[in-house]
Amino acid sequence: MSSRREFLQMGVAALALPISAHAALSPTSSILDGEPAGTPLYKVIFDERFSSSRAFAEEAERLGLSIHGIKGDMTDVWYRDLYARWKEGPVAIAGLTAHGPIFCLERLAWDQRMRVVFRADHRYRADGSIEHALSGPSGMLRQAAALGDEINWSSEMASLVTRCPAMRSQTSQSNVIGPTVKHADDPEHLISWVIAPIHRA
Amino acid sequence: MKVPPGVSPADFSEALKQFEDVVGKEWVFTSDDDVDLYRDSYSPVWSEKEEPIPAAAVAPDGVEQVQAIIRIANKHNIPLWTISTGKNLGYGGSAPLLGGSVVLDLKRMNRVLEVNDKNHYALLEPGVSYFDLYRYIQDHKLKVWIDPPDPGWGSPVGNSLERGGGYTPMHDHFDAVCGMEVVLPNGEVMRTGMGALPGSETWQQYKYGFGPYVNGIFSQSSLGVVTKMGIWLFPEPEAYVSGTVMVWKRDDLIPLVNVFAELVSSGTFRGTVVLASPLWFGPPDAELDPLRISGSVKDLEEYGARKRIPFWSLPLYLYGPTEVVAAQWEHIKEKFSSISGVAFQEGPSYRFPLSGDELAKIRDTVPLGVPSLQIFSLLPPRSQGHIGFSPIIPMSGEALIEALTVFEGVHRELGAGRAVLTILSSFPRAFVIIDLFPVERDVEKNRKMREIYRRLVKEAAAHGWGEYRTHTTFMGDISNTYSFNNHALRRFHETIKDAVDPNGILSPGKCGIWPKRMRKAEA
Repeated sequence: MSSRREFLQMGVAALALPISAHAALSPTSSILDGEPAGTPLYKVIFDERFSSSRAFAEEAERLGLSIHGIKGDMTDVWYRDLYARWKEGPVAIAGLTAHGPIFCLERLAWDQRMRVVFRADHRYRADGSIEHALSGPSGMLRQAAALGDEINWSSEMASLVTRCPAMRSQTSQSNVIGPTVKHADDPEHLISWVIAPIHRA
Repeated sequence: MKVPPGVSPADFSEALKQFEDVVGKEWVFTSDDDVDLYRDSYSPVWSEKEEPIPAAAVAPDGVEQVQAIIRIANKHNIPLWTISTGKNLGYGGSAPLLGGSVVLDLKRMNRVLEVNDKNHYALLEPGVSYFDLYRYIQDHKLKVWIDPPDPGWGSPVGNSLERGGGYTPMHDHFDAVCGMEVVLPNGEVMRTGMGALPGSETWQQYKYGFGPYVNGIFSQSSLGVVTKMGIWLFPEPEAYVSGTVMVWKRDDLIPLVNVFAELVSSGTFRGTVVLASPLWFGPPDAELDPLRISGSVKDLEEYGARKRIPFWSLPLYLYGPTEVVAAQWEHIKEKFSSISGVAFQEGPSYRFPLSGDELAKIRDTVPLGVPSLQIFSLLPPRSQGHIGFSPIIPMSGEALIEALTVFEGVHRELGAGRAVLTILSSFPRAFVIIDLFPVERDVEKNRKMREIYRRLVKEAAAHGWGEYRTHTTFMGDISNTYSFNNHALRRFHETIKDAVDPNGILSPGKCGIWPKRMRKAEA
């Protein structure tokens, strides 16, 4: 029979009705000549259930970053890793997840004087394309224009988050529509993000 | 710069400067970027003119700093809105009720002062989270459990003060409070219960002290800032057994609740259960939904009998010595067996302590005293949050059926979509029904939701049912329903408020209680 959690989930689900550690703390290797210094990423979080998120993690790992997989619930990575690390001091993290994990991590990061400094909402469209709604440093958004031609958008996003500048000017927004192949296990909406200490240019 | 109501920009600037002198410049937040973080993510008035945006926030590191801030606020008539961790989403989060207030953010006061696993209590500062306390207990290998709510990122002090609940036998959190330290609105520090006795050795062991017992006036309150609190903990049990009681007809709820009430009142069962109707209020089902809308109770019962879906399902959790919990479960089955057709299903059972690997395999750890954020991964993809309508209902099957019928009717009448109502036994002698509403980033949808919510409040009150807690947006509405003898209770609250907080600086408007200088405008 249904568990306590399943009953509670009924309530919240009903709301949809009608109404590598070696790279940690060191500048990433992907900074191009002439670019401002990037934000060192302590950890890249991905959701093992989603193909695009796995591809994001594979690229992040290839770039030398430490990755951590979740299955929707971010309690373990936060409690067993970030909780203690953030008590020592703020360090940046990035990820490609569904809404729930970034919602929680953002609020937990606020208490450490960190913010979501880059966010891209990826929504699959009925015409087979994908919309990337981006918010972040203008330099990153200029580089994100490449998503308009890139079918492997999640790998491109992994590369992009490693280039989040350490010193950031005002946040800008842009939308890019690009090609994609929707994976059966991807949800309609995924979010790429960077959480980092506040450093304003 | 936003300024508190009735305060000049020059006075406010001076107050902020004095706050900085007390806590340091880095702990006074005035920039839009920083202040925005104190907005309520789940606000039902998001981006509307009614949305209460704070003017600033200040984060003290200790009781002396709290005292100094309160004295400065008194001098300049600055309204302060106190939060512990500010994560009670659905009830206002970290946002004030009165726009322009300064958030008094106690997150830096996060010290676990004591955990005693012989007498099973903790003494905590308000910024300690359930995760912090759990970590402390694990690190020190103490044989006590906490009782986290779900999600568990909030503060035991804050949750207890708001009269929240968990799932283990310590589920009634305010009932587990033993001793407080409070900074009063005049800046003086007071200790309650045995804490009033200098050198007391029983502050966290005997609640009442001597004379009138005042802890209650600091819960859901604007009468002081609680800077330390004792809470009772649960000794790590030897075993946990769970099982579910299932009955098949709507009116089986009446004997089901009668037996349950006896089990609760006799202490045979202690904890929060989620009593639900998979048939009536279960998940969307293409075949079942038409019956839910237009079918009769008999239609639903027949469908349930055919598909083996119980009309009512009551999961129970038992904690204690192995032999005792086994005997309790047998006793419980015997008691419920008087209901025709009743069925039982054994659930998971555990022996403690669990290893890390064993714990990692358990999907729902909250009833085992382990805080979790997993519930956020269960939210629908487009969710912007939700608030709950949560009236207290008598512990009787008849009352529950009536209440569920009334609330479902309001949903239908006002086009609110199908209600999904769950029943919790968070408190010892009554139920609370939870009716969740989505909040949106859409002004019109939120207005409609507020209309439905307010109608539910009125309907409930007309039947003698009142809410135990609510979002700041609706605190005035709920307060208005507690109106016996021309609002005698609210007038008494106001009398106390005026006496202890004459400048009305602490959490104006909380739970419908406004300080005298704002009463005419806001009441």
